[in-house]
Amino acid sequence: MLQDKITEKRSMFIGDVHTELRAQINRKRRINLLQGNLTTNVRTEESGVSARVYKNGVYGFSSMAEYSSEAAEAVLRAASENAVFMDSHIKKGKEMFPAIPYGRQQLNCRVTDIDQKQYIDFVKEIDNYIAVKYPSLASRMVIMSEDSMEKLLSVSDGQDTHTAIPRSYIYLFMNTETKDGVPIEQFKPLGGFGNFSEQFTDPSLLFGEVDKLYEITMQKKEGIYAQAGYKTVILGGDLSGMLAHEAVGHTVEADLVLGGSVAAHNLNKRVASDLVSMVDFAHTYDGKMAPLPVYVDDEGTPAEDAVLIKNGILTGYMNSRETAKHFGMKPLGNARAYLFSDEPLIRMRNTAVLPGTDKLEDMIASVEDGYYLTNTNNGQADTTGEFMFGISMGYEIKNGKLGQAILDTTISGVAFDMLQTVDMVSDSMTWSSSGFCGKKQPMPVGMGGPQLRCKVMIGGR
Amino acid sequence: MDDLKKIAQNTIKALQAEGADKAQCTAAVSEKREFNVDGGEFSLFRTLFDKSLSLMAIKGNKKGNIAINRFDDEAVSAAIKDCIAVAESAGEDDAWDIAPKQEDKNVVQGAPEADVDLLFSRTKELLENINDMFPKIMVEQLVVSHEKTNKVYCNTSGSSFDITNGIYEVSVMFSGHEGEVASSFFGSGVVTDSLDRPFIELGTIKKDLSDVEQQIHQKPFEGKFTGTILLTPGCLGSFISSIVGNFASDGVLLDGTSLWKNKLNEKVADERLTIHVRPDDSRIVCPEVYTTEGFLSEGYDLIEKGILKQFKLSLYVANKTGHTRAKNSAFSCVIEPGDTAYEDMVKGIKKGIIVGRFSGGNPGTNGEFSGVAKNSFLVEDGRITGAVSETMINGNLADILTNLVAISKETVCDGMDVLPYMAFDGVVISGK
Repeated sequence: MLQDKITEKRSMFIGDVHTELRAQINRKRRINLLQGNLTTNVRTEESGVSARVYKNGVYGFSSMAEYSSEAAEAVLRAASENAVFMDSHIKKGKEMFPAIPYGRQQLNCRVTDIDQKQYIDFVKEIDNYIAVKYPSLASRMVIMSEDSMEKLLSVSDGQDTHTAIPRSYIYLFMNTETKDGVPIEQFKPLGGFGNFSEQFTDPSLLFGEVDKLYEITMQKKEGIYAQAGYKTVILGGDLSGMLAHEAVGHTVEADLVLGGSVAAHNLNKRVASDLVSMVDFAHTYDGKMAPLPVYVDDEGTPAEDAVLIKNGILTGYMNSRETAKHFGMKPLGNARAYLFSDEPLIRMRNTAVLPGTDKLEDMIASVEDGYYLTNTNNGQADTTGEFMFGISMGYEIKNGKLGQAILDTTISGVAFDMLQTVDMVSDSMTWSSSGFCGKKQPMPVGMGGPQLRCKVMIGGR
Repeated sequence: MDDLKKIAQNTIKALQAEGADKAQCTAAVSEKREFNVDGGEFSLFRTLFDKSLSLMAIKGNKKGNIAINRFDDEAVSAAIKDCIAVAESAGEDDAWDIAPKQEDKNVVQGAPEADVDLLFSRTKELLENINDMFPKIMVEQLVVSHEKTNKVYCNTSGSSFDITNGIYEVSVMFSGHEGEVASSFFGSGVVTDSLDRPFIELGTIKKDLSDVEQQIHQKPFEGKFTGTILLTPGCLGSFISSIVGNFASDGVLLDGTSLWKNKLNEKVADERLTIHVRPDDSRIVCPEVYTTEGFLSEGYDLIEKGILKQFKLSLYVANKTGHTRAKNSAFSCVIEPGDTAYEDMVKGIKKGIIVGRFSGGNPGTNGEFSGVAKNSFLVEDGRITGAVSETMINGNLADILTNLVAISKETVCDGMDVLPYMAFDGVVISGK
């Protein structure tokens, strides 16, 4: 656990600037077992201290891979010098953003560690179960990934905090071929917030998930190609979460708005059907902890939910303290840094489309000719909101009934056009949190949503 | 000042004392200076002082890896013990190995010392050039940096490499705007060891800015056809990376899913295609000196005149599969130019698109790709007829290599790769 060597350095903070001093340790544990071969067996730790100083509209930042009293003083001095350098060359002359009352939050959870052998034994037991029970698979892989960020933050105004976000996952991969030799890959992430030993107590408890994945893989083995074209589809919760994050979320990050995203011209305008609402949750959803909770961000701002779309109307952006001042909005705790050597950027936390009132079975029954798309293996979007998601699992819908599984395909569209076509929203909610969002720095994020009935382009030959 | 060689050598000795049969260690320190521009305005100046210590030990044919970023005795001792414990917990696999003794190297590369004032001036100049030459371009983010790294590698075979290098890096994200109409965003970048030339003249930055400014009024087209895709050098790089990953890399050779697993020394591409992997090419900035297993890096040909000559394999997978290891572990890709001028390549297209960026799903191991052609132009009867949006392309990575139309005379170097324009037939191009 990080010892506090930074609070005492508050005496070095200068009066007319905003200062952040942060100590941090990031830890990763990773095991890859490919066809029973242990191809990755790694433990890493990165720790250090950084400071950021805001002066007249520009930032100076410095970091050192050393966590000591001397290093904290050194980065404070260097960050101040860098801010002065920028201010003297750029002369923006901007006013300071509004102050946040001082406060202090204690550590929300502890990061614990176990021997590497325990991870390996756990993964091997799952791998052995797959190898013995499903020998006809072309190949298999089991990955264990545990990572954590622990931070100590002291700010000139705002909340001083000690926070930790540990998360642990087992990823299952199965490969086979169709009768025509088309390769099939299916994967399933399991796990979430918490240390490995809290998430995973007994490998046999995951065997049911292994069996389910095998069943889906076999369905896909008999799969057909989706017909290309503009189709009515039901997006599963993984897909609507991806949509919330990639296609809408990034466009309403205020730094990208300032860079010219499509959201710049759409604030307070209709961007979706009135069935669609979207929120970036800080730490709590429906009275329970959100997948990856953030209580205070790395600028010392207490975290609150950011309502992005309400009943189809774009109502807000996600901000840093600086962009919040620019747009006349309240900062809600979206400025986060990944490593000790990273500066805070505007990042999502737990971004989701809110559930509606429809039942999935009614939604399926309502589709004459379309698809139910359940899983995605990647997604990309740009600042126009044009998106592309890889579809790794789905089913055709014919005359209101689920049909055959489909092979890998892609869907695409423009978010603010596609969201206007949403005409049914299910009452269930699916969250995921196993990936990293990429934006200069990686960042663990949560995303989620209900099933959505809408229209998208499906790719194919 | 940390004595990196002493740290690395002492770590190797300690790993051996703990029972490692073979071990390697890299100790590194770096200093980075970075200017950031956001929304067209300077926003941040960063200075980073980093260090890293990477350990690998093989004990009884069991391998473990540890990485930390501290050099203090307490942390290093803990990492050594942890590395051995990680190795001991692994299963036995006699394919793990490191290189035998290589010639020691002491190399200085690139521009080790930063000229921060000139770096700032060049950055400011780039913004001014963009404003003057491409007024409809909005710079979403510009990150310009210099990083100096000193790293020392030692292993139990007795090899020792001491590398000091310095690199300037320019990365700019931008989009074109007219009122509320906008192009897709685009990223362009280079690495260089010199500040002699304005940044806008490096790599494809100027052409990329020009292209994106012409993509503001992009629109979808109706229908679907099978035609030609002309890939820009940047887009070609991402396709080559997918091709290598899908057919010629560790994972797919180890699990046997590579379509090319039995095609060594056989034709896999048009005979005009030669792909070198050349860290020794003089155009590559601060190339790899040694591989991740401690071999001195050498160039090799992945594909020579259409024939598959080598897989991109680590020593481990080479030992597992019986193939030869790749002679470097970087991927400095140098593709031989063709004999057709870029303008003539465009003129030769009956119907197709010029693709600046591909936003696609992960291709399956059979090479099927499907995704959105971003920052792209429609070409009809040899003429560019407009920028397109919401356009999907579908094809097969293996098939397109045999459906090569032309390779450009012109090549572009961004400091990391040297790539031409390439055109391929037989790709399904779908409008809205």
